[in-house]
Amino acid sequence: MSDYVAGVSSDAKKSPKRVVFVTRRTSAHVRSQDEEQVQTYPEALFRAALAVQVLVIALVLMSLFFNAPLEGIANPTVTPNPAKAPWYFLGLQEMLHYFPPVVAGVMIPGLLVVALVVIPYFNINIRPDGVFLKDRRRNLTIFYIIAGGLSLFLWFFDVYVALAPTLAVAGFLLIAAYSAPQSTSRFRRYLVSRPVSWWIMTWFLLELTVLTVVGTFFRGPGWSWVLPWRS
Amino acid sequence: MRTLKNCWNSWRRLFGDPIRAFGITSVLLLIALAIAPAKDHFSEWRHYQHGYLKLIQSRRDAPVLERHFQAGIHQIWLPKLGVVDRCETCHVGLTETSLGDVRMEPYSRHPAIPHSMQQFGCVVCHRGQGAATTVAAAHDSTLAPNEPILPARYDEAACGQCHHADLEGTPTLNQGRELLARYGCVRCHTIKLPDGSAMQPTDAPPPLTHIADKTTREWIYAWLKDPASYAASATMPNFLLSDQEARDISAFLMANSVPKPGDTASLKATSATNADPAAGASLYGESFCASCHAMQNAAGNLVGGDLGPELTAVGTKVKPEWLTAWLRDPRNYDAGTAMPHYRFTDAQLGLLSGFLESKTNSDLLANVHLDPATPEQIAHGKQLVEVYGCAACHAIRGVPKPDNYGPDLSRVGSKPLAQLVFTAGMPRTLPTYLSNKIEHPRIFGPGLHMPQFTFTPAQVDALTTALLSLTDRSYTLPAKMQIAAVGQSSYTPAGKAGELMTDLNCMACHRINGHGGDMAPDLSWEGSAVQRQWLDAFLKNPNTLRPALIRRMPRFNLTDQERTELTNYIMTVYQNPKIDRDAMPQSGYSAEMVEHGRQLFYGKYACQSCHIVDPVQDRGYIGPTLTDVGSRLNAEWIYLWLKNPQQLRPGTIEPNRGMSDDDARALTAFLTMQKGAGSRKSGAGVASLRTSGTKGVGQ
Amino acid sequence: MQSRISTNLERLRASRLWNSIFRSGSGTSTLHRSMAIQQNVFLHILPTKVRRRMLNFDATWYLGTLTLGTFLVLVITGILLMFYYHPSVPQAYFDMKDLRYVVSSGLFLRNLHRWSAHAMVLLAFAHLFRVFYRGAYRPPREFNWVVGIILLLVTLLLSYTGYLLPWDQLAFWAITVGSNISSAVPFVGQKIHFLLLGGNLVNANALLRFYVLHCVILPLAAVMLIAVHFWRIRKDGGLYVQQSEPVAQCAEETAGPATTEETAEEVMAKP
Repeated sequence: MSDYVAGVSSDAKKSPKRVVFVTRRTSAHVRSQDEEQVQTYPEALFRAALAVQVLVIALVLMSLFFNAPLEGIANPTVTPNPAKAPWYFLGLQEMLHYFPPVVAGVMIPGLLVVALVVIPYFNINIRPDGVFLKDRRRNLTIFYIIAGGLSLFLWFFDVYVALAPTLAVAGFLLIAAYSAPQSTSRFRRYLVSRPVSWWIMTWFLLELTVLTVVGTFFRGPGWSWVLPWRS
Repeated sequence: MRTLKNCWNSWRRLFGDPIRAFGITSVLLLIALAIAPAKDHFSEWRHYQHGYLKLIQSRRDAPVLERHFQAGIHQIWLPKLGVVDRCETCHVGLTETSLGDVRMEPYSRHPAIPHSMQQFGCVVCHRGQGAATTVAAAHDSTLAPNEPILPARYDEAACGQCHHADLEGTPTLNQGRELLARYGCVRCHTIKLPDGSAMQPTDAPPPLTHIADKTTREWIYAWLKDPASYAASATMPNFLLSDQEARDISAFLMANSVPKPGDTASLKATSATNADPAAGASLYGESFCASCHAMQNAAGNLVGGDLGPELTAVGTKVKPEWLTAWLRDPRNYDAGTAMPHYRFTDAQLGLLSGFLESKTNSDLLANVHLDPATPEQIAHGKQLVEVYGCAACHAIRGVPKPDNYGPDLSRVGSKPLAQLVFTAGMPRTLPTYLSNKIEHPRIFGPGLHMPQFTFTPAQVDALTTALLSLTDRSYTLPAKMQIAAVGQSSYTPAGKAGELMTDLNCMACHRINGHGGDMAPDLSWEGSAVQRQWLDAFLKNPNTLRPALIRRMPRFNLTDQERTELTNYIMTVYQNPKIDRDAMPQSGYSAEMVEHGRQLFYGKYACQSCHIVDPVQDRGYIGPTLTDVGSRLNAEWIYLWLKNPQQLRPGTIEPNRGMSDDDARALTAFLTMQKGAGSRKSGAGVASLRTSGTKGVGQ
Repeated sequence: MQSRISTNLERLRASRLWNSIFRSGSGTSTLHRSMAIQQNVFLHILPTKVRRRMLNFDATWYLGTLTLGTFLVLVITGILLMFYYHPSVPQAYFDMKDLRYVVSSGLFLRNLHRWSAHAMVLLAFAHLFRVFYRGAYRPPREFNWVVGIILLLVTLLLSYTGYLLPWDQLAFWAITVGSNISSAVPFVGQKIHFLLLGGNLVNANALLRFYVLHCVILPLAAVMLIAVHFWRIRKDGGLYVQQSEPVAQCAEETAGPATTEETAEEVMAKP
């Protein structure tokens, strides 16, 4: 991928700016010019302070009316059922329910962190074009293999909680695959133009949200299903 | 939608001029931050302290009370007890003695108690969350290690955390502990005390090894179905068995029973058939069977003691041959029985067994028809016996005693609610759970085996109180605060006399050197107390010292040799080493000294209000009759007793009057003159007066 | 009224004392305003100029700023809470009770700390996704993205270590469940678990360890990483401007049929 050039060294004297926009069939033309700039002080600083203050006011009001939970003193002999980790780890705990600890507790979070870290270092994540617009046949095959394999895997291990978001994302991907870029529907045009990194991140976000919400609200004694409004 | 758009627009405008917006939000933030201290200022406890000031304002003692009052949070901090109690922050007047008339909470005064609040705090007794300064958190918190406030009717449970021995001021707790031991609760449930000892049962469930010698399968069946239908005072609980279960258990017990030689006896036909009911009844009375056994009288009231089983319908239960053998020698059938070995003659045996056999209840077995047992039924019966833990109480051949059949209750008073199952609608508190469990053990779900007892509401409260006293705190309190239960020593009398005393089961009623029952006087120092002639005569024909009591020492028909053996042993062994029997002369006091003693008796000390010296004129029935005290007690013993009764017998109700030596000597002189010759009236006429206070009363 | 305040303010800013502290001096010229940033040790890690477009709320939702805001609130409330807290068993729990019932505004302080902590985790996640969807991780900002991921992990660890400190059932079992996962690491799991807790179980050692991590090590790490994070924004060309969003197939820009293999390419050039 030598057709991409990014060059700003961190000792730049001036903010980098875009000067040309080149596509294969057009000649170079200027698309963007120097933008209007304002002084950080006071324009940006006060806005930042304002935003923080609004948030703090909200937090203060919340603290005035909602008390932080405090249960009985720690007692190693009395295990609450269920014993839950902090909410941001409940997605992982939900996975622990399905997979052995070495998978759900070590491999999944480890891979996750690695995946997040390497995002900007792989060109596939930087390419901004829609998944199926280039190499459509190959990409479709890859999509079918990955989506099918993942779904079967999750289905095999009864991980329906993770299967549902996967199927939903796969469904939208299918819509994207069989929509024309010139579709009259804005939504379809939008889907068509999404690059592959967008789809993966969206799938991850959806999984994270669903698993965390399920772990937080829908799990009761023995990690069984409960309905939060019926307790 | 439109308002949303407006909001959005104003939001953008806010960012359009950030400095002005910053100014506005700064003010808002300051206001929001100011709410926290304001909320603090209007806290609950300030409200209550304000109310207290208003309350005392109009009182006459206002200046004193106001001087005592200090605004702010108050706390009792006792690190060794783990106490941080801020109760006094709202309960401001707890220690104000002059607020006795205030009924309004939280300002009322604490009732007088033997402990200082500053030394114990509040939650040690009342539970609740001492650290809290809000009403709800202080009283209703169920967060470990806090518990909700203990309802007032279980207050005595608090005392039981340290006082493992009975206390005078805690009748409910004492009763509860007694019931735990008496109803065999502690046979299934282990109850360990902080000192490591375990609560011991005081009931005597009979062994079932030779049950077929004693009774019929039909009776067992009826008894298993409902013990109360046979005897209203039965301590055996109802296991709520189905007909089939009762059939199979009875089948197993009969099949499992092995006959024992000597368990059946046949008397000469004449003595058995000629039994005269009236003579039998009088022998029953003369032998003082009613000291231990109860019987329903014509009015339907139970009369008699509860040490042995109720005999109202004993004729329906036991086989005549077994009964005769039992009366002749109870130890043959049950080596551990509390029943004494009376030396009945064959004629007496006939009379007594005839009388008892006539006590029947024809309804009990009227509808019980059992087919011969099949091997499957017997096998199933054995299974059931194991399932229901029968062997926890009864010795059953081939069924080992289960260890910890029921849950351990050593710390049940601190059981976390999370570990309990409540029925729908039941208030989720520990006392509610315990009292419901005691009253209706099986309502908490299927598969429970705890049987149904028949307790009165007062007994349920007493049991709940006793269980609530078994707390974690009890274990964490400093050891020096623990007052141990008075346990039984392992004393057994030695030698030939010892054998005799075991055979007669003296210790079922008498306590000697820390071992034995509490129905009759403690005999540890009997040898120092009484005169030999009196003891010998008493053993020959015991008559009552306390006309007001229905319980008597029975006559065992001892042979002369046995009697002499026993007298010698008691006079030699049961001596208090600190008492010199000859320090005071037994007679020969001057007439004026005796007269002085008489005046002290009737005048200064008014002894006649409890004791009788002159049977015609005195009416004191609380203490023992003293008409023959001069021939009964040793003079030195009398003297020392008068000086300090509690030293000779701890816990006696005889008051210590702080007598001077002279007064005590004069009274001794007067009392030794009471020889009571010829005045030995049998107390039968006053035996109808019944009291229950037999514990620790001086002779 | 307003003029009097501003006159006094101007007089203050012209004073010698003020000038000895703030070298930028008074004035509203661009130079002065640039100096206000440059001459300040805390602010100089920010660029002196920002694109006006990036100040719109919908450009960034201010998520990074807000995350920093919650961090500041947490530092302030955390330091105040440290005055009342002993990291020992069981005193830690009783300190919570004292905060709740006797310390003036103690309950408020703890609430604010707790809710801000949750808000910070939430905002950090939101910031991550927002940055991703805006494409702001692209070169030359790769490394700042990595710093951001590390900051997210530090945030999670801060929240997680703080979770144990109240020493209640919630804390104890959440940490027990969480730390047990570490023992699933192949070969060295038990060792990591032991290292984390200072023992095989969550106990007083674990509390002390978490306390030190929560109050010293992790906040220091966070402060340094935040400084790097901001510095890199400036050095990588300011806040990312969304100008290279996928546009390849926008119908109005390309005349050709959809099947053409066009890609949008951007050339970043520096003068």
